Amino acid sequence: MRTIDQRHDLSLTFCIPAIFMFWTACIRAMLFALIWLVLTGGVINSWSIGVPVVLLSTLVSIILLPPTPWSFIGLIRIIPFFLWHSLCAAIDVAKRALHPQLPISPDLYHYYWHLSSGVPQIFMANMVSLLPGTLSVELHDKYLCLHVLDQTGDFISQLSIVESYVARLFTPTLIAYRSK
Amino acid sequence: MLIIDILTVILLLAGAVFFLAGTVGLLRFPDIYTRLHALTKADNAGLGLVIAGLALQVESWFVVAKLLLIWLLVLLASASVAHLIAKTARQKGIKPWTK
Repeated sequence: MRTIDQRHDLSLTFCIPAIFMFWTACIRAMLFALIWLVLTGGVINSWSIGVPVVLLSTLVSIILLPPTPWSFIGLIRIIPFFLWHSLCAAIDVAKRALHPQLPISPDLYHYYWHLSSGVPQIFMANMVSLLPGTLSVELHDKYLCLHVLDQTGDFISQLSIVESYVARLFTPTLIAYRSK
Repeated sequence: MLIIDILTVILLLAGAVFFLAGTVGLLRFPDIYTRLHALTKADNAGLGLVIAGLALQVESWFVVAKLLLIWLLVLLASASVAHLIAKTARQKGIKPWTK
């Protein structure tokens, strides 16, 4: 059984093409630099500490999380989908919590993966916890064990929509997803 | 300026309603799993609305970005912590409440 905090095999890091590795390192360094800029409020002097910190965090992030191919268009598509549906999730759970009769009928459900293992599965497991009526409980090789707040609801089709969005975010998994 | 203030008040109040509903859910829901549902989802939207309301009031873009960063961090933390609590509960053999 795999867990969400599973460490990646370090040997994986070294068989990824050098150009892709360099590209990922550049993007991550830019992201960390942006976070530093935001945290310090753009004070010029802070970069004497900021530059080493950004470089070190990039190095650590490459070791802990080897580069994963992802698509920018996929990211742009998933953001409004996520924002809207997480708001729906909050409205749904708030209604149930405040309703006098407490209309819930919870159950456990096993959702069988189409996604490839590693980052795409972990991403989806985290995402479904913030979407209406689902909470990821355990990650297994073949399936995701979910807790469902209302088993009479249409959560299965919602899960496959989420999965197709995540598959488009991590481009290579889209091929695996379509071939199934 | 006034419209922005009204919008801020609406967003902050809506955020507070979600926090309240999340807490009511925490008290009323029957078991650990259903309580996690209430906390992760309602508080995430509540904080998002509060941050949206506050972002309208600040002058500097750095502060807006900082607020956004806080929200993203809380989002990530609440999703993964909810998963860890649920996983531990399941491994300890806590059965989900059923009707």
